[in-house]
Parts: sequence; structure tokens; C-alpha cells
Amino acid sequence: MPIEWTILKRNQPVSIYVDVVMTLTLCFLLSIVSINLTVAARRQQTNGTWMRMGLLMDDRMQNDRGFPSCKNLPGLSAGQRRLCQLYVDHMGAVAFGAKHALTECKHQFRSRRWNCSILNDSDAFGPVISIASRESAFAHALASAGVTHAISRACRDGQLTSCGCSRTTRPKNLKKEWVWGGCGDNLEYGYKFTQSFVDVRERERKFKRGTREQGRVLMNLHNNEAGRRALIKKSKVTCKCHGVSGSCSLITCWQQLASFREVGDYLRDKYDGATEVRVNRRGRLQLLDPRVTIPTAYDLVYLEDSPNYCVKDEATGSLGTQGRVCNRTSPDIDGCNLLCCGRGYNTLKTVIKERCQCKFKWCCQVECKTCSRTLDVHTCK
Amino acid sequence: MPGTILENLSTKKLSVLLSVFLLSQLACFLLGLIAPSPARTQTILATVCVDEDPLSSRDDADQWFTRQCRKTVNLEDPKATDGLDANNLVFVAEMPLHGLDYSRWQQNLVGILQIDMYYQKEQKISNPLVELTLESRLAYSDKTSNGGKTPWKYFSHAEEKRYMNCSFDENANRGEGYQYECTMVSLFELGSLFHDYYLLNLRLPYNSTSNKNTALGRIHDIYLHTIYMNGGFTKVWVSLKTVFFPILVAIMTWFWHRVHKLNRTPVLLEYMLITVGGTLTFLNLPIEFLSLFFEMPYMLLLSDIRQGVFYATLLSFWLIFAGEHMLIQDTAERNTLRKYWKHLSTIIIGCLCLLIFDLCERGTQLVNPFYSIWVTPIGTNLALAFIILAGISAGLYFFFLCFMVWRVFKNISIKRSVLPSMSQARRLHYEGFIYRFNFLMLATLICAAVTIVSFILSQVDEGQNKWDETMDLELSSVIHTGVYGMWNIYICAMLILYAPSHKQWPSDVACTEGEEVEFSRIPNESTSNEISALTTFSTKANLD
Repeated sequence: MPIEWTILKRNQPVSIYVDVVMTLTLCFLLSIVSINLTVAARRQQTNGTWMRMGLLMDDRMQNDRGFPSCKNLPGLSAGQRRLCQLYVDHMGAVAFGAKHALTECKHQFRSRRWNCSILNDSDAFGPVISIASRESAFAHALASAGVTHAISRACRDGQLTSCGCSRTTRPKNLKKEWVWGGCGDNLEYGYKFTQSFVDVRERERKFKRGTREQGRVLMNLHNNEAGRRALIKKSKVTCKCHGVSGSCSLITCWQQLASFREVGDYLRDKYDGATEVRVNRRGRLQLLDPRVTIPTAYDLVYLEDSPNYCVKDEATGSLGTQGRVCNRTSPDIDGCNLLCCGRGYNTLKTVIKERCQCKFKWCCQVECKTCSRTLDVHTCK
Repeated sequence: MPGTILENLSTKKLSVLLSVFLLSQLACFLLGLIAPSPARTQTILATVCVDEDPLSSRDDADQWFTRQCRKTVNLEDPKATDGLDANNLVFVAEMPLHGLDYSRWQQNLVGILQIDMYYQKEQKISNPLVELTLESRLAYSDKTSNGGKTPWKYFSHAEEKRYMNCSFDENANRGEGYQYECTMVSLFELGSLFHDYYLLNLRLPYNSTSNKNTALGRIHDIYLHTIYMNGGFTKVWVSLKTVFFPILVAIMTWFWHRVHKLNRTPVLLEYMLITVGGTLTFLNLPIEFLSLFFEMPYMLLLSDIRQGVFYATLLSFWLIFAGEHMLIQDTAERNTLRKYWKHLSTIIIGCLCLLIFDLCERGTQLVNPFYSIWVTPIGTNLALAFIILAGISAGLYFFFLCFMVWRVFKNISIKRSVLPSMSQARRLHYEGFIYRFNFLMLATLICAAVTIVSFILSQVDEGQNKWDETMDLELSSVIHTGVYGMWNIYICAMLILYAPSHKQWPSDVACTEGEEVEFSRIPNESTSNEISALTTFSTKANLD
């Protein structure tokens, strides 16, 4: 597997770091073994992720030369590459969905210690995503929701030929049967495609029951599902009566997609209420604290505590909160006290010019006045 | 003494007949199982094309923008629309998507717009009721024999106003990135799907002097939801009609033949029965087949009228059926429709209102598929007035009907108390046909209840999210075929069971002694007048 090899090579710094750690702390043999195991797990994880597709430019995805071939797409696993070859026309939507998810992640975490920092490495998020933390759970769920959203939307756009009436193989045969009676909902199609495309990378790796790696697989699968379900939960059913004289003797309903911001907000709430679990010997996820309620398929789960995002740490991928803008008056996580982890902040007086009293003119004009105001900008030390 | 078949049929024959009816009812339900749901939707996200020269394309009726247009924009990106104005944007929806083409079996197409308007903190919409001006053009195209498409041809064009109610809950922790909750806007209704492909070019022109689209916010997407009948369902439906049509014609002929064999002119109830049968035959007439060969945009209107006429006669029939078994007053003349003018006028007024409303909406749609009566305030008031009037007459009708049925049952119970004083044979006989009459009343009630419950069920069923893989059963089509079959069977049963019997009453011959008082004719009433013994019976009860 040459591709796997090159990606593994790229992760050399991590291995070197581990080696150094190992040599330095020989006496704590047990702990070393455990670290080694974690890193082995991480190495498995960090063969890049498909979420990186969201970092590709849109025009590169939809240029005249057509779509970049499946080999050139970053971060696909073997199974995903096979699916890519089968559904080449879907990949633009997948990339769009991933991009949407990355943007939304940044928006949701703009004022948190971890600000969903996107790095230009094979993981898109840096090593943070290889830790089985809350943040990783959120990222997986959001990405999965993003792809479902984008595929469903692309179906409605007419870009994808296989969706809509895809219950049987090809519309031609189907038409002869029952003239489109079998056409499913686009959202359902998006859900099913995402289920096979996103989950395949977890399913194609086999681990021994009860190991950390297997736990991670279960966690990812659970959170992917939670993401897809979030989209479905937020979608709205709309109906129209079209019977005799427009009466409701005939009624037809369909799903209406919610805006992705709504899904993002919903998942952020789920992130705040995520449940810590562990994998038991039978290879099932189990509650760490039996007093909390059992998470449903809509809830997020995680295995490990989050690393310390306050200080910069290349190993965990934390960028630290130094230099981040904070809110002096807020008692929440975006307040300077919490965001700067107690290190204090610098204040800078600035005058900003901004648009105000805008009037919108359909379609494309906004008439605004320019207002200027002075503002204290606080940044973490 | 002539009666109806219902009274003279032996229990054995009656049960055989009933089981035949039940079996055919079951068959109708099973037929619905193989059919797909009656209608489905296809949602189309409009492609936003840029019309570089809107002035010249306005005059050119044959310039069409398709999904492959030269330049498209993404409205989500404010930079992409720099330098464009509203007249430059054309929202293009090609129907249908996914390489399909419409079949004539799909009968009709309804188009509904969903406009995704995004909330902007600095640019809130001033009025929650947004007035839209939609300039829409429809074109059609057909498949050619070599698999291509004919060039787009003009189909229809209109500039229409629509109202959209938008709300935004700012308190629920929402802000930018959320969309307004807007109502759907119905755009067009095609009465026939004669062509293979349709193309919609929609513009939302902006004009501050004539107040066009001035209240709009930032639109990201426009979706067109198209609702079509499923071809499979139409096939099942039409075949159901085709089966019932000759059966009903045969039963009607038999019924009328039987009535004419009697030595009397037909009575009102027999006329009513044959009329109900006739309207149902008209409804069963499978003219849908014609729409496969001819363009018939008036099919929607026609089917509305056909159904309306049937409902109206069925409602009148119930009223007269109850009335004839109660005898509002016992006069010498034959009962005519005139006697029921008060009750029937409720039906006539109600149906006329609905007819006028339907003619206004669907009649105008023959000319302009984008027309809607609900847009202008006058139209809305007029439509509401008609519907409210129809509702009032429906309420009055049901009041009359319930009152009459109640009186019939009261008469029967009065007579029942007299029953023990009758002779054994006569009592058994009377008890038998009271039971059968009640049974048929019960059948009517059951039919009505099943109809109401099943339609409520189908609404509930449709409104739910369908994510359960195992539920592959199409409830709504089962309900539609089942209920349609049920009313057909009901009318057939009425025609058969209420056809005049040629049998003589055995009791008439057997025990005449001592019972003359019971059966003596009401003074001034001609022998050939009554339809059934029950009529006589209840008349007598009234006299008592």
C-alpha cells in the first residue's frame, strides 16, 4: 500500500517525539507502553481525513477539466476511493459539504479556547482530531451533517444523476414499472450516501474487541450518525393540499432542509452535553459514569478528555489562546477571564469604520452609511 | 304487495350478497397495496442564470435560459453579484430532474415556490407580509425519436403577484445565518402533463416606482417543489374505474328494467337511486384514457365537477331516503323533489358556491396556469365568502339530515313497542326488516366513518417523517382505492337491495285474518305509491 506509506512518513515528527519520550522515561515502563499504544492508535487515525477535501478550492473542484480524479483527492480511505470511483459526480458535493462544515465549525467555536483551528495538514484540524475528545466528536458529527446537507442539496440542483428515483437501479427500468412512484426523498438519499461514504473508513478497519482503536471506531460511527440525524431532526416537513377544489383529500409532503447554521447550533448544544464513554471488554461503548443518562443516537460521545487548549502544544495540536480576542465583560467562555486561562489580557483602543443603517435593494445592492466608533479590543496575553 | 329486494331476500341469500360485497371491498384495498402513493414531489433547486441583456430578451419570446446557461451566480456570495441588478437574474428550473421525462399518465403538475431568505442583522425586512412580483415563463419540449429533445417552445407567460408571510424569532438565540420562516408560494398548476419536459424561467424584477419586490430580503436559494400524480397510481385508479364502470351500468340497467316491469310509474326514491347510479357512472367513466392522446388541460376542472356532482346527488339521496321513510306529511300526491326543496337547497347552494369558486380558480388556470384567486384582496374575500357559504350550507344540511334520521328512528321505536301485540309471523317479519333497515343505515354510517377516519389517517401518515425502512406500505393509496371502491360497492348494494321485488308477501296470503287493520291502506293513498313496506309501516306509525 504505497499511499498509506507516504502518509505515514509524513507523520514522522510524531514518531520521533515518541521515541524521545521513550528514551527519556525508561523507568516508567508501564506508562510508556500506554503512550506507545495511544500513539499507535493515533498513527492509524492520522492517515489523513476526507474532511480535507473541504480545503480544496471550489473552482478546482468544478473546473472545466472536470473533477480531479479520485487518486488526487486527499485523505480518502480505500473504501472511500472505491465509492469515489462509483460516484464521481458526488465528490464536488462532498467537498462542498466538508467546506461548509469547516466554516461552520470555525463560526461555532470562534470564541472558545479551541477555535476550530484549521491547519493545512493531512487532517485539516491538526493532531487535535486524533484525540478522541469532545472536539473530535463534534468535528466528525458536523462533517457528516455537512456532507448529508450538501448531497441533498446537490440532488435538488440536478447535479447528481443517481439520486431522487434511485430505489431501483436506473430510472429507465423504474419508469416502466410505476412512473416515478419509487422516488425517495433527497434527504433520505443524502443520509444513505453519507452513511456509506463517511462510515466506510471506520468499517474497513478491523480491531480487536475492547481495544482503544475499536473504541475510537465506535465513537466515530456514533458521532457520524448523530451528525446525520441532527440534519434530519432540523429539517421541516411541509405539506400541500391538492385534492378536489384544492381540498386536503389529497395531500403531499416533503422535507425542507434547514439552514446549516441551525444544524451547527444544534450540534454545538450537543457538544456541550456530550457524554464520556469507554469501551468495555465486549467491544461496546459503556458509560463512564453510570449516573448520567444514556446517550441517544442524537447525542455526541467521546472517550478521552480534551487536551489543554490554553497553551501551545504541537504534540496535541493545540494552538494556545495567546493573541486571541476576548470579551472583557462576558462571564462565559468567551470572556477574557476564561479564554485567556487567567493569564490576563492586553487592551488596545481602536477606531473602526463600519457599515450601518443599511438598506437592502433586491437583488444585489446594499446602501449603507459609514459609521465610525471607538472600540476597546482585548487580546489574551 | 310489492316491496324491495332487501325485505324479501332470505338471510342466506343476503349473507351471500354481503360476502360478495365484502370480498370486492377487500379486493379494492388489496389493489391499493400494489399502487405507489397517489402523488409525489420532486424538489428542484433553481439555477441562477445571468441575463446580460434583459431588455432584448424581454421582447424575444423564444429565448430560453436552461441549466446550461452561459453564466451562473451563487447568491450566497455577495461578491458574485456585484454590478448585477434584479433584472439580470433568471431563476431556471428544468422539470423534471435526474434525466427523467414526464409521462402522460402523471396527469397533472403543481408547482410551489420556496424562497430561502436569509436574515441580516442590519437589513431586516420591514413588513412580515412580503409582496412578490413574479414574472414567470413556461416552455415545453418533447422527446424526439432518436432520444434528443425538441427545442423549447413557448407555453405560457404571466406576471403575477404573490404574498409570502415571513417571520423571524430573534429571541430564540438566532441570528445571521438563519433564514426567515416563510410560507410557500404556489406558482402554477398544469391540468395536463402532455409534454415530456417543461422549463420555468422566473424573474423577480425590481422597480421602486411601481413597488415591485421592494420588500425582499437577501435571497440565497429558490426551490421549486413540483407535485405530480404517480403514473402507477393513475393506472391502478383508472383500471379500478374501468372495472366498476360496466358493472354499474349493468346493475343500473337491471334496476331500471325491474322498475319498469312493475305496473306503476317509478317513485321518487327509485329516481334518486338511478340518478346516484348515473352520476357515479359518470365519475367512473375512464376519460383519463383520452388524456393520453389529447391535450386536455380541463381535466382537473372536469374531475372536480364529476366528483362534485356525485357528492351532491349522494347527499341528496340520503336526505330523501330518510325523508321517504319518515313521511314528512302524508298527502295524497306522489312525493316529488319539490317537497324537499328546503333541504335540497342547502346542497344546491353549497355545491354552486364550490362550483363557482372552482370555476374561478381552475377555470382561469386553463388560460393562465399561474393564476391564483387568493392573491388579490377581492379575490380572497370572494373565495372565502364562497367557501364559508358552502360550509354553512353543509352545516345546515347535516342538521336536516340528523334531524330526519332521528325522527325515522323514533318512528321505528314507537312501532317496536306495538310489535308484541302483532301476530307471530307478522312480528317476525317486521322485526326482520327493521333490522335490515337499521343495518343499511349502519352501513351508511360505517362508510361515512371509514371515509373520514381514513382521510384523517392519510393526513397524519403523510405529515410524518418516513425514516422507517420496514414501512414500505403505501397507506394513502390503499386508503384512496379502498374508499373509492367502498362507495362504488355501497351504491351497487343500494341499487340491488332497493330494487323492487317481484315476490308476493307470503304473509299476505297466509294470514289475512285479523290483521286487516294493521295493513289497511291509509286513506287516499294509491297502492302503487310506496316503495317499501317500511314506508307504509312508518306512515302508519305516524298516523298512530
